[in-house]
Amino acid sequence: MTDDMVGVAPALRADRLGRRYGRVWGLRDCTLEVPAGVIAGLVGPNGAGKTTLLEMIIGLLEPTEGQVSVFGQISRAQSAATLARVGYVAQDHPLYRDFSVADMFHLGRAMNPSWDQSLAQARTDALGIPLKRKVKHLSGGQRAQVSLTMALAKRAPLLVLDEPVSSLDPVARLEFMREVMAAAAGTGLTTIIASHVVSELERLCDWLIVLTGGHVQLAGPADDLISAHRLLTVPRATPDAELPGLPIHRTDSDRHSTVVVRTDPARPSAQVHPGWQADPVGFEQLIMAYLQRTPAAAATGNPAQAAEWPGPTSKAVTR
Amino acid sequence: MIWVSWRQHRSQAIACLALLAALAVYAILLGTSMRTAFSHDSLAACLARSPGTGCPAAVEAFSGKFGSEVNVAFWSVVLIVPGLIGVLVGAPLIARELEYGTWRLAWSQTVPRARWLTVKLALVTGGLVILGAAMTAVITWYRAPMDQLTGHLLHNIYDFEGLVLTAYILCAFGFAVLAGLLLRRSVPAMIAAFIPWLAIRLVVEFLFRPHFLAPLTVSRPACLRPPGCGEGIGIVPQATGRIGDLVLSINGNIVTYQPADRFWPFQFIEAGIFVALTAAALGATIWLLHRRAA
Repeated sequence: MTDDMVGVAPALRADRLGRRYGRVWGLRDCTLEVPAGVIAGLVGPNGAGKTTLLEMIIGLLEPTEGQVSVFGQISRAQSAATLARVGYVAQDHPLYRDFSVADMFHLGRAMNPSWDQSLAQARTDALGIPLKRKVKHLSGGQRAQVSLTMALAKRAPLLVLDEPVSSLDPVARLEFMREVMAAAAGTGLTTIIASHVVSELERLCDWLIVLTGGHVQLAGPADDLISAHRLLTVPRATPDAELPGLPIHRTDSDRHSTVVVRTDPARPSAQVHPGWQADPVGFEQLIMAYLQRTPAAAATGNPAQAAEWPGPTSKAVTR
Repeated sequence: MIWVSWRQHRSQAIACLALLAALAVYAILLGTSMRTAFSHDSLAACLARSPGTGCPAAVEAFSGKFGSEVNVAFWSVVLIVPGLIGVLVGAPLIARELEYGTWRLAWSQTVPRARWLTVKLALVTGGLVILGAAMTAVITWYRAPMDQLTGHLLHNIYDFEGLVLTAYILCAFGFAVLAGLLLRRSVPAMIAAFIPWLAIRLVVEFLFRPHFLAPLTVSRPACLRPPGCGEGIGIVPQATGRIGDLVLSINGNIVTYQPADRFWPFQFIEAGIFVALTAAALGATIWLLHRRAA
């Protein structure tokens, strides 16, 4: 892989990617693109297919259909070239309990040709983690940091983090996210971070992917996605058809309904009835709207980039 | 990968060395006193003079003193030891990675998992071969005086000398590695590997081994233990008159037996069976790990 390929190809491109486990699809028809240099948040409930997607990206799992490429190179399970392109922090930060931190780094050096030992040591020094300490005597936050350090010292252009903070306490979460952001800012690293801790992602991510039920519901630059949605407060009787845009999630109270709608870019200032209230949608509200979206609505809304407006009567997602 | 394999199996290697050391201490103590007694009784010269018969008193005294040390009760229990070593080393090799989730760490480094497994298997198998060979050497050395009275074909001697001891360890190891991949947990994998290993081990020993090569027959000598024929040595079959022949049955005047010089052909055949089973199990493991990609 040459440097100019890194510059041209998107960091990640999935094309109708799917993986079946026996008769159940863990992920289906996943098409998305993540440009180089962003921190992308991958959000979805448990069982949405996040880990399946990540494992196909990094070369732990072979797709059943479609393909995924990292910087223009197709990811293949069992391929050293694929494995070399991605630094990976797995869920729960697996490390060998009876290894010392130095042993873990020795393993990293032994198993990765591009291993950066000085980076690994500088990071643990800065974090105050003793190299001689055994993994089993580290705190959860320290384990997460050692895992992150191993992924970074691999010097891969794509960093993939799977639920890196869900097992951590709030302080450790903050520290972990700060390290991720610092690492990404310094190096132009592309980062994909899967999490259901939505609040932690808001500060971190400039790209957002929402995955539910094995399908991509929403993907694109976080700011564009937010500006493409509105939070409307309308009289309860208002039918969906009268709403300006595609309703994503609707909450009915006694007299009013609050609806997150995707506005139609062709009619950006679409008729908001004078009696209605229209507010910008928050990061968390937006994600929650897509996570709570009913399966029927999710099936008719085309999982597309925000730029590609599908229209409210788009064709059903191929099943 | 070599360092990684060593680091992960270091404590097992140390435990195996400790086991070997304990065996060696036992063997040196017992072996030395056996050698002393053997030469004190001039048994070597006596056996050379009249193989299979003669100097019965000295033989009885010797086997009375040491027989229990190398005898059935002890070695029947010990026959499970190669299986235990094999499953204890083999079961966690993959299962521990799956149990603790560390497979995601191990297999996401820049080493494809099939190579990761192949290197580990090669190194651990090599270690077990060294262990098996060392145990065999120690056991063979200390039992040497007794073996001059009994030959090498008796069950509890044959099973711990030559090639088969190492092959038994490898077979249990191979079964356990495969079971670890299939069951994804160490302890169930140990049990699931040990039971078929023991079953095959006993079936081969008692059903197949007597017929690896067609047994020979001999007409029963006219005088067995009458005065003048000499007294037979306690545990040595007098029917053929040669130390080390393994008598399978005596039917009227016809003695069916396996001759003592078939020890090595039999060892090769039996070790071949267990090494083939090992290769099949390990080959299946590599193939399955490569194929399932998760």
